[in-house]
Amino acid sequence: MVRKTITILSQLALIHVFYFAGVGLAHILSLPVPGSIVGLVLLLLSLFAGIVKLEWIEKAGGWLLAELLLFFVPSAVGILNYKEILNWQGLETLLLILVSTFIVMAATGFTAERLYRRKRKGEHHS
Amino acid sequence: MTTALIILIGTIVTYVIYRASKVVYKKWPLPFFHPLLLCPLILIAIIQLSSLQPSDYALSSSLWTHMLGPATVAFAIPIYKHAPLLRKNITIILTSIAAGTLVAIGSSLLLSLVLHFNGDLLISILPRSITTPIAIEVSKTIGGLPTLTTVFVIVTGVIGGIIGPYVIRLMALKSPVARGLALGMGAHGVGTNKAMEYGEQEGTFSTIGMIMAAGMTLVWAGLLIPSLLQITIL
Repeated sequence: MVRKTITILSQLALIHVFYFAGVGLAHILSLPVPGSIVGLVLLLLSLFAGIVKLEWIEKAGGWLLAELLLFFVPSAVGILNYKEILNWQGLETLLLILVSTFIVMAATGFTAERLYRRKRKGEHHS
Repeated sequence: MTTALIILIGTIVTYVIYRASKVVYKKWPLPFFHPLLLCPLILIAIIQLSSLQPSDYALSSSLWTHMLGPATVAFAIPIYKHAPLLRKNITIILTSIAAGTLVAIGSSLLLSLVLHFNGDLLISILPRSITTPIAIEVSKTIGGLPTLTTVFVIVTGVIGGIIGPYVIRLMALKSPVARGLALGMGAHGVGTNKAMEYGEQEGTFSTIGMIMAAGMTLVWAGLLIPSLLQITIL
């Protein structure tokens, strides 16, 4: 238990190194991309270059991805600061987001599924 | 109370309620019990019933909000592990996400016009289907209110996480690439979290879909959205 916690914490520290490097780089070069995405690219490049081994970060990375919803919770509670949207327009907004999200998912999934089937068919014929 | 103590309490309370919400959702998988709906609602109830201010809670839970950054970095792991799979499907990914981002912006704009939304509200809602940090950037670029955009991004995530499985069933999406891209495009990180429940391949396609969606929306924000807004608002 103790060893597992230490492993996760040290791996988390390593991921933070990439995060802060990304934030710093984005700031210095005033990139239009958030630091966390720059950090993602840096980590990806380091993995491909063999500078970082997958085992060094896999446990903490798995935890971060599995608990992703937890990290959205404070922002979701932050909706409290927008009490004024709890009116008719708020309800309309909710409806807009519901309908639009449905259409977006359906359109994206439909396109991908069609292309996937066509590609698989092509592979079978060749 | 010192700040450190406030953060310690907020971190623990948030974590315990989140864990409990997950247990409830696992036992009764009803849309209303989705952890990103149930857990914030319980916390909002606690804040409202006590003398706490929303800003006190924001400070006390800032450790978890901070973790969004490292979590974004950690998305490099599934991409690295499944690089060959992604390379093999690159055409499908690019085409689907191009379609998805255009439909996201287009449908938000059209529905906003139908509902007579205007000004800040309309502009701030356009980048709502992409991951928070980039949605904020896009919102700034096109002249929206970043805080309002954040609210729309979160609401999109909650709704997307709930309706995602229904869309997958209704549209008969069978391949991991279609399921993953639909979830990642439609509901960013929250959709990707759902995709990982389907399987590792779905999770990977969702991750890449989420990242590509953010990248492409940044491009549209520079090239397409300004002229779209000019045509529709003027």
